[in-house]
This record gives sequence, structure tokens and C-alpha cells, in this order.
Amino acid sequence: MNMSVDRTRDFGEYVPAPDDDIIICRCEEVTKGEIRRAVRDGMFNVHEVRRFLRCGMGLCQGQTCARLVRTLIARELGVPPGVLDEATGRAPARPTEMYVFANEKMEGI
Amino acid sequence: MNTSDVVIIGAGAIGSAAAYYLAKRGLSVTVLEKGACVGGGGSSRNGGGVRQSGRHSAELPLAMYGVKNLWPGLSDELGMDIEYYQEGNLRLGKTEAHMKILQGLTDSCAAGGLDMCLIDQKQAREICPYLSEDVIGAGWCPTDGHANPMLVTLAYYRAARRLGARYITGAEVTRLRKLRGRVSEVVTADGEVYSAGSIAVVAGYDSRKLLASVGLDIPMSPILMECIVTEEAPHMFWQMLGTAMADFYGHQSKHGSFVFGGAHGYEPYAAYDGGTRGASISVPSTCRAIIGYFPVLRGLKIVRSWAGWLDDCADHIPVMDNPRETPGLTIGCGFSGHGFGISPVAGALLADLASGETPTLDVSKFRYDRFRAKI
Amino acid sequence: MTRYDLIVVGAGPAGLSAAAEAAAAGMRTAVFDENLKPGGQLFKQIHKFFGSKEHKAKIRGMNIGAELLGEAERLGVEVFLSSPVMGLYKDREVLVRQGDGVCRYKGDAVIVATGASENMLTFPGWTLPGVMGAGAAQTMMNVNRVRPGDRVLMLGSGNVGLVVGFQLLQAGCSLAAVVDAAPRVGGYGVHAAKLARTGVPFYLSHTIVRAEGTDRVTGVVIGEVDGKWNVISGTEKRFEADTICIAVGLSSSTQLLKMAGCEMRDDGAGRLPVCADDGETSIPRVYAAGDVSGIEEASSAMLEGRISGAAAAGALGFITGDALLSRKAELEAALESLREGMFAPKNRGKLPDKTDVGLPVSASLLSRGYLGDAEVFEYPGVKRASGLHPVMECTQNIPCDPCRDACPKGCIKVRGGIVSLPELDEAAGCVGCGLCVAACSGQSIFLVNENAGDGGAEVTIPYEFLPLPEKGERGVALSRSGAALCPAEITDVKLLPAYDKTALVTLRVPTALAMKARFWKREASV
Repeated sequence: MNMSVDRTRDFGEYVPAPDDDIIICRCEEVTKGEIRRAVRDGMFNVHEVRRFLRCGMGLCQGQTCARLVRTLIARELGVPPGVLDEATGRAPARPTEMYVFANEKMEGI
Repeated sequence: MNTSDVVIIGAGAIGSAAAYYLAKRGLSVTVLEKGACVGGGGSSRNGGGVRQSGRHSAELPLAMYGVKNLWPGLSDELGMDIEYYQEGNLRLGKTEAHMKILQGLTDSCAAGGLDMCLIDQKQAREICPYLSEDVIGAGWCPTDGHANPMLVTLAYYRAARRLGARYITGAEVTRLRKLRGRVSEVVTADGEVYSAGSIAVVAGYDSRKLLASVGLDIPMSPILMECIVTEEAPHMFWQMLGTAMADFYGHQSKHGSFVFGGAHGYEPYAAYDGGTRGASISVPSTCRAIIGYFPVLRGLKIVRSWAGWLDDCADHIPVMDNPRETPGLTIGCGFSGHGFGISPVAGALLADLASGETPTLDVSKFRYDRFRAKI
Repeated sequence: MTRYDLIVVGAGPAGLSAAAEAAAAGMRTAVFDENLKPGGQLFKQIHKFFGSKEHKAKIRGMNIGAELLGEAERLGVEVFLSSPVMGLYKDREVLVRQGDGVCRYKGDAVIVATGASENMLTFPGWTLPGVMGAGAAQTMMNVNRVRPGDRVLMLGSGNVGLVVGFQLLQAGCSLAAVVDAAPRVGGYGVHAAKLARTGVPFYLSHTIVRAEGTDRVTGVVIGEVDGKWNVISGTEKRFEADTICIAVGLSSSTQLLKMAGCEMRDDGAGRLPVCADDGETSIPRVYAAGDVSGIEEASSAMLEGRISGAAAAGALGFITGDALLSRKAELEAALESLREGMFAPKNRGKLPDKTDVGLPVSASLLSRGYLGDAEVFEYPGVKRASGLHPVMECTQNIPCDPCRDACPKGCIKVRGGIVSLPELDEAAGCVGCGLCVAACSGQSIFLVNENAGDGGAEVTIPYEFLPLPEKGERGVALSRSGAALCPAEITDVKLLPAYDKTALVTLRVPTALAMKARFWKREASV
């Protein structure tokens, strides 16, 4: 069962951080400030922040930034990162061309 | 206090649209979502089509109303870009048999007053030069389009939240309660009780289980559909795509990635577990279909695939109703895999129903008690 | 569909070990790996491993890899390379890219051994070319034979940072500093000492403030951090560097396990599969072995792989009864012994300041990377003795004991378990064979003769840099901290096959410096 989270929350005034413009997701060029603001806009977990900003959805599939994004969201919410779910594991585990997928061999080589 | 004017069960696109329109009217709204996410179900797991063409005649007026009145101003209204592009829908055909199917669709849509027509290969390639030469014609509806399904639900949620709607995720409603003849409370798995003058069930296939607690049932089945997303590519075209065969559909997003859905033919046989794990045959099947119509895309990399459950009604159109036997209850479910494109209008109509207003459009075809024996 | 008794994903230390174990039990086994070469991280581990004989201690990782691959192949394991697994589906089916297509395979058991990937850290300039994971730098050097840069700053003093730092020196880079936000060195003291004695400075309680440069790294500024990890203004220091290596930990590559629907738990840093002792996940006969089930190191990954391989063989009836029980017990005992000591997984986050026998852990080693010249005598491996004898500057409880077996005369005793510190038995009579010096994976054993004639002393050090010094070559003796002590002439250079490429270099120093001189540099490079 998922943990119950009431999304009604007053974060107070946004305090900009000196490094808000630092890039966290390199593939999709998402900054720390954008992630912090997304949380305040109601994106309370990794899945919603990903959908909202695309961070972790680029070619590296979040391999570099997933942990950074999760930590930032947790910090903004004031919870330990461990309570936040990680992004769902999805096929393909490695980006792969359409023609390769289309060429399905019924027996292994 | 867990009391509000309206409780909505389900924070998908339609539930959130309803929440927004209700909050906009000044009503207090509580949205209860079983999942950890807003829009974690079919709402963000679809191809993003905002189509009128190919709709059931009962749904067509809703789709046309939405395209005319709601979608074009939605980004402005909700205060964020939901990436709506109204550049038309191409429904592609490769054989004479396909063209026959497309002719039928065109005729029925035209009868409903939609600007859909049949075009030949040359016209289709003028609209989208990347088509395979195997495509011999298409059904063309220039006022169709697409939007970003990941953003639409979040935009409604964000706007509703700003208007004071209370969202609680991880709140699994297990039953509705009828008190003194009126559906007026819901109970969650962790024992919380929420009461409201009006309760709306907009929970996809899970609505069935909830409605059972007040003695209602809707004949629908869960079907697992899958989508794929490619890497980012330079922008090629803005049209929404589909085929006469229904073997794939999709579009290129503003971001540059392509979002495609497909079908391998065994979808209805997946065991319902509410999970989002796909089948190994799915991505290969969709890729073969796409390459068949767009060989130019064959070298693009797939970066992700996902699966989601749709709530397929027996007659493939939704239920949107206040059943007379359960006062206080509004039902919005059974959108049968084409709810996203009508989510703003469906949300608005459910807001009407839940607040006791006369619906903006006729919803009599979506009554819950329309299911009768064949013979 | 092609079906195997066992499918293993990942041909690293855990995966190959699992496959070998299962194949030895008679299972038809396939291993899929996305890389061109098998071995995972093993083939870039050019250093000697810790542990005991049963863990292949004192053998270099790359040679362990070759041995393991040979074993798997001899046992008939089918190893498919350039075969990335796209997904793990229901009924233990995998979809694998092979050539220009995809193939589907099913296993009656599946062992996921997909390892881990490097964590990143952000600071202004972190996206500049020249900033890379330490593991990536190691791959560049040791697999692709490309030097990642000329002057490197290493962030992270865990074993990865320390080991890769040393290998960067071996590759001919210079190391500007080892920096860590923690107040103490995270990795083995012996690894830190190897770096410190070459003159690499350690900055603990420091972090990177920014990387400088416009189109690539040209410098880096670090600063001291306070108790809340904020940089204390005024403490900034700048280094010339063209490369910044980040060694701030690893995250398990659990994507396939999550995709399959395995139940996960959180260890505070990331999600890990919930596993039984034999590695079985919440999905029957889907196992996780090696770093994917929790970050440790290659030696334990190999044992975890074997345990899962044996468990799969047991579950499917390939080994039964006592044979299964005794094999499992044997492997579990070997794994347990690796998980002893102050660096054990169970002690993570604790800061032991005493060894198992109550000796203080050197504060200097933890904060500066080297032992103090006086405190070194507090440890049982360091004794002044007449004539030639080994000096074992081993001061932490690390699971490692090849020195004991290395000495043909029995000079070295390790009382107690694998993590106990070695002691010198003077009576046994050192013959100066140097096998202990070469066997010490931490390069912390030296041969010292304080009375080598003419009022001088001789110190024999392990030396793994090219070109090797030549007998008669003059240079400078360096202290444990890398400070120049005195001019020193090389009196002997030995490189026996038994040393496995660790040269033993003997330098002559004044007797007073015999217990201080621990490295040697050519004069030109001082």
C-alpha cells in the first residue's frame, strides 16, 4: 500500500539557492532550481517531477541524475530520500534502435 | 475535518479536470488517489491523441466541443504549456481493404458534422512527406491534434491545487457508504472516512470494485496497452497518426521524441494485476508496425516503453451519470482507451453532474443503466 | 524459444562465478553481457586483491577474471557478449539484443548480476569535459589504454578513489590531491598510505567548490566544510588540474529487477532487491548477486555469485542433499570471513577508533593518509630487529592474510582471524626473499636492514611504476608523507616471477632514516 500523502502544504516563500542554475539532468538540461520549484508546484515524487520536467528521461535513462533528483526532491520536502520511490524500471534497459526490435528472431543465435 | 462539497476518487486526467472545474466554481474538493502519483494510471500512459475522427457517434459531440472550446485555450487557462498541437490526424491505409475501413469511418464522422475526408497518397505525402510509399491513402481530419499526456493531468492537478483542491495520494478508497439513502461517505484502506455532499468515482477499471460497494456494476474489462518513446529527433511533423488496421498510433512530441502505441493482438488476455509491466512481444510488434508506415524512423532508438490499463466498456463508450438509485453519486469511467482526448470535456461534464448543474452537453447516451440483454 | 536451466545477466565477477558454479553442477547455463569483453570490472582491476587464498588474495583482478572466464568456458557455460538484456519479463523470460535483432530466452532460473554504476556529485562546472567518474577513468586507462588527463584531482577517499588514484599515477598522471568531505579517509589505510608516500596531499573535510574552465577543466577550487557540509568561506584552495575524478560511491543497477517486479527495500541511499541469504528475490528462482544486491567488492561478489549459482542448482535438483548443504556452508563461511573487520558492510557508518585488540587506529592515517613515524611502532607488525626483517605497516582490521602464507620461514604470524594484524616472529629468521613484500596487496610490507654496513641501512620497498629504477641509480628517499628525506642510491632491483610484477627495490639510506624512508623518486622528478 502506498503511503498516504496530503498534498495540501504551505512551503513558504521560495528562497533561491546560489546554485539553482546548476544542471542536474544533463540529457534534458534540467536545473536544480526547476526541480525545487516543481516540488513546490505539487510534484511530490520522482515520477511526477520526471513527467513535469523530463529529468531522467533522456538517453542515459537517468543513470547519472536519478539519485541527484531524488535527493533534491527529498530535501525540498524535508523527508529522507529513502521514503521516495525510484523511477520504475522499464524496457529497454539500453536505448536500442527500432529496426533491431523489429527484427525478432524466434530462436536464439 | 474530512468533509468537503465533493469527493473525487481518482486523480487521473478526468478526475483532475473535474476537480479543477469544481474548484473554479468555488466548491471545496477532496481528491483521493490510490496510487502514489497524480495521473499515474492511463492518464499519463497513452499516445496523447486529441482526436475527434474515429469516435463513436455518441462521443463525437464531446470531442468536437472539447476541440472547439477547451483544448485551444487550455495552456493559458491552466498556466502551463500542455503541448497541444492542432495539426490534424492522418489515419493511414495501405490496401484497398484499409481504404474501405477508412471510408466507413469518414462517412460516419461526416454524418456527425466533422470535417473529415479521405485523401489519396499524393495528398497524404504533401501533409506528411515521411510516409512510406506503401501508404496509398488516408483519412484526414485537419482539426484533430495531440497534447502531452504527462503534462495535462499534472496541469489540471496543479491548477486545482492552487484553487484549494485537497489532493491525497496513497489514499485507497475501499468502499462507498450510503447513509439515509444518499451516497455520502467513502472509507479508505487505512480507515479514514471522507464525507461530502457529492461523491464522484473516476477511478478507471478500479471504479468497478468501488461501485460494487453500493450495488452497482458496469460491464467493463481491463486491457493492458503499451507505448514506446524514442530518443529526441529533429522535428519532422506535427500530425497525430493512426492506421486503418489500428496497429500503431502516435505523434512526435514538442520535445522531439516520438510517442507510439501499438498492439500485438493478445492485450485482452493479460491478467489484471494493476501493475504496469509489459509483454516481451510488445515493443518488437509496435516497431514493426511503425517501420511499415515510416521506414525513415527505423534507426531511431527506443528509450522507454510502458504499459497501462484501460477500462474497456462493453459498448466502448464511457459511463457518465448520476444513477437515480444512488443519489449523491457521480460515475465517470469506462472511457475504453480514448478518454484522454476528451478529458477536459469529460471533466467539465462530471463537474456539472457532481455539482447538480445541468450538463453543458447531453450525456444521456452515457447512462449507467443502458446495458441490456442482446435478445 | 530457447530455454536454459540458468540464465545469468552480466559476465562480471558475480555472474561468471554463478555460471561456473551452476555449470559445474550440470546446469545448461547462458550468460549475457552487453560488453565486448567479459569480466565486468575485473579486467580493469590491475591491482592485487585482498582476502585469503580461498578468495584469490594477492592475485590481480584481471588475472582472476581470466581464470574465472576459463573455468566457465571449460564447464561449458555459453557466454554471449555484445548481448544487452533489454528486459526481464514474466516466467523468467529475457529479451536480448543480439546482432541486428532481438532474441527471447527463458531460464528455469535467472541470476541478475548487473553490477552498479557510479554516483555523481554536482558543483559549478561539473558538466565540463574533464569531470568524470573514477571508474570511467579506470576504464579509459586499463581497458582502453587512454590516459584520462595529465593532472588529476580525486574527489573521494574510499577504496575506489584511492585505488584509481594510484593507478592514475601508474599511468603517468600526476595527482593534485585526494579530497573528501568526510573527516576521515573512507578506504583502507594501506591504499591511502601508498598514495601519501608518493607525495599526494589529502584534504579531508573538504569538497569541490567549483571546476574552472570554459570548454574543459583547467583548474579546481576546493574548500573546507563545516559540520553541515557547507564550505567555510576563506578556506578555498585552488589546484591546477585538467581532470576531476569523482569517486563518491556506487548505485546498484537494479533496473531489470525493478522491471521484473521484484520487491525492493531502501538502504537509505537507494533501492535494493529484497533477497534471501542465497540471493533469491521475491520472485521465485530470480536471484540477485554481486553489487546489484548491495554494494560490496569483487571478492564478495564472486562468492555471492557462487552461492546463488549453487542455490539455483539446488532449487532445480542439480545438487541435492549433503552435497548441497556442505557446498552452501563452505561458500557462506568464505563470504562471512570477507565481511569481517572494521570495513565490513555491517560496520558502515561506524567510526571505529580501535582495532580488534584495542590498538588505536592511527588518526594521522585517517586524516592525512599516512602513519606517524613514531606511532608506527605501536602495531605488532612493526618491530626494530637486528638484521634483515619485514616491517608490516598494517594497522587496520582488513580481511586479508596472504602475508602469512607468503613467508617460507614462518616469520609472519596472523593470530586469530583473517582480519587480525600480522606480527613478526623474529626467531623464525628472515632470509630476505621478499615474497611477503610482493604478496601484500596493500603494499605495506617493507624489508628493513638497519645494519647494512658502513653505518647505513637498506630499505626494500614494493614498486609498481615504470620505468623501474636501475641498480646504482641515485634519487631521493621519501618519507611516509612523501617528503624528501635524503639522497638515496638504489642497491638492488628484483623482479621475480613469484612477485607477479611487483618489483622489489632496495635503497640505501642512513640508519637513522631506516624506519622513515618508504618510497623513492628519481631526482629529476622531485
